[in-house]
Amino acid sequence: MTTTEKAVPEHLVVDFDIYDQSLAQPVDNVQQRVAELSAKGPIVYSTAHGGHWIVTRYKEIHEVLRDPDTFSSYPNNLVTGPAGMGKLLPIELDPPEHTGYRLAMQPLFSPSRMKALTEQIRDQVNELIDDFAGKGEAEFISEFAHELPARVFLALMDWPLEDAPLFTEATDIILMGKPGLNEEENQQARAAAGFEMFGYFHKMVQERRENPGDDVTSTLIHTEVELEDGKRLLTDEELYRMLFLLLIAGLHTVQGSLAWAIIHLVNNPEQRRALIEDESLIPTAVEEILRIEAAVVPGRRATRDVELGGVQIKEGDQLILTLCSANRDSDEFDDPTELQLDRHPNRHLSFGGGPHRCLGSHLARIELSLALEELHRRIPDYDLVESDPPILHASQVRGCMRLPIIFTPTA
Amino acid sequence: MSDLRQQVQRLVVDTSACAGHGLCYSTSPQLLDCDDQGYPVVLQDLSSEHDVQAAEAAVIVCPERALTIEPR
Ligand code: SF4
Repeated sequence: MTTTEKAVPEHLVVDFDIYDQSLAQPVDNVQQRVAELSAKGPIVYSTAHGGHWIVTRYKEIHEVLRDPDTFSSYPNNLVTGPAGMGKLLPIELDPPEHTGYRLAMQPLFSPSRMKALTEQIRDQVNELIDDFAGKGEAEFISEFAHELPARVFLALMDWPLEDAPLFTEATDIILMGKPGLNEEENQQARAAAGFEMFGYFHKMVQERRENPGDDVTSTLIHTEVELEDGKRLLTDEELYRMLFLLLIAGLHTVQGSLAWAIIHLVNNPEQRRALIEDESLIPTAVEEILRIEAAVVPGRRATRDVELGGVQIKEGDQLILTLCSANRDSDEFDDPTELQLDRHPNRHLSFGGGPHRCLGSHLARIELSLALEELHRRIPDYDLVESDPPILHASQVRGCMRLPIIFTPTA
Repeated sequence: MSDLRQQVQRLVVDTSACAGHGLCYSTSPQLLDCDDQGYPVVLQDLSSEHDVQAAEAAVIVCPERALTIEPR
C-alpha cells in the first residue's frame, strides 16, 4: 500500500503542484516556493497528482539519485508514464537493464565527439545572431534559445532542419500540456503528440536503415548493443524510445538555461561585465548558470519501504526531486542564492547524478559556452524589455517560453 | 604535512562511483583526460606541489566523490 495523506505528519503535507502555471506566471516564483518547501524539511508530501513526495535538499536528493535499486527511475514523470507512450530509453530503465543501452549511447555524446562539433555549433550560433543583430531587438526564445538546440539536435541526427517546428509543438505539448485543457484532455493531447513523433521517427529510421550515414540515427540503427538478452541490434521500438528521450531531454533544457543566463546576467551587471572582459570565466559561468536554476525536476518511484530524510516512504510511492533547491542548499553552497560566475567548487546537480546522470551534459555545456561567448562578443549590452517581461513556465522541465530583449544594433 | 607532500601520490578514480560528469577533467586537464565514454583517465602521478593542488581541485569538484588522492 502506498502512503496516503493521512499517514503523513500534518506539517509535511503541502498542496504544491509543479505543473501549476501560477508558480511561474505572471512572475516566476518557483524558487521561492520550493525554498519554502525546503524550509519545512528535506522531504515533504504533496497532495497533487494522486499524492507524491517532494525531496528538497542536496543530501537526500543525492542519496536518491545514487540508489536506483531503491528509487526506480520509472516512471520518471508524474503525468505521462503508464498513460503515455511507454518507457523512455534508457532513462526509465534501471541498472542492470539500463546499463547496455546507456553504454551504447554514451559515446555518441562523449566529450571528444562533442568537442569535434564545436566549430559547427559556433557557426549555428552566429547564423542565428546574424538574423537579429542589426535589429537591436529579438524575441530571444524563438529567434535563438529554442532554435539553437533544435538545430544542433537535427544536425546530430541528420534530419531536415525545416522539421524543427514539428518538434517544437510536440515537445511543448508533451512537457506542458495545452493551455485550457483539463487533465484528461491533456493526457490525450500528450499521447497524440507522442504518437505523431513516433510516426516521424519511424519514417527517419526506415530511411536511414536503407541509406546510412555517420549521424547518430544511423549509428544507433547499425550498432550491435550488449543487452541482457545478448548482443544484438536495437529494435525499431527501442530506437523510437531512445530518439524520443533525446528530443525531450535536449531541447527545452538548453532553451531554459539560455534564457536564465540572459535574465541572471541582466540582473547581475558586474558579473556580466567581468564575463565580457574575461572569456576564461565562461566554463565556470556555465556551471553557475546551470546551478542557479536547474531546469529539470526528475521523478522516482520507491521500490520498497524505506526511510528518507526522517520520514517513512512506502513501496510504490512516487517522488520528485527539486534539483533547483538542492542547488541552493546552504549546507552545500556558500551564499547559495548569489550568482558567482567563478564559483568553485560547484557540485551542482542540474545534470542529476548516479547512473542516470544526463547523457547530454557535454553537449549542453558546449552549446551554452558557445552561446555565451558569441552573445557577449556581439550584443554585450542586451537588456530585458520592461513593458514585455519574460514568460516562464513551471513543470518537470522548467523553462522560458518568451523573452524579448533589446541591445545596441551591430553589423 | 610537508613529509606527506614529498611522497609521490596519485589520483585514483573509483569507477563504481564515477558517473562521468566530466567536471574533474575540465578542472584539471593536465592530470586527467577522458575516454570515449566520458569517464576520466588519470594521466600522471602527482610529482609536484602544483600537481597536488590541481588534484585537490579535481577531487573537490566531483559531485559523486569518486576521486581520492592516495600514496603511490
Ligand atoms: S567529476 Fe567525478 S563523476 Fe564526474 S567524471 Fe570526474 S570522477 Fe567521474
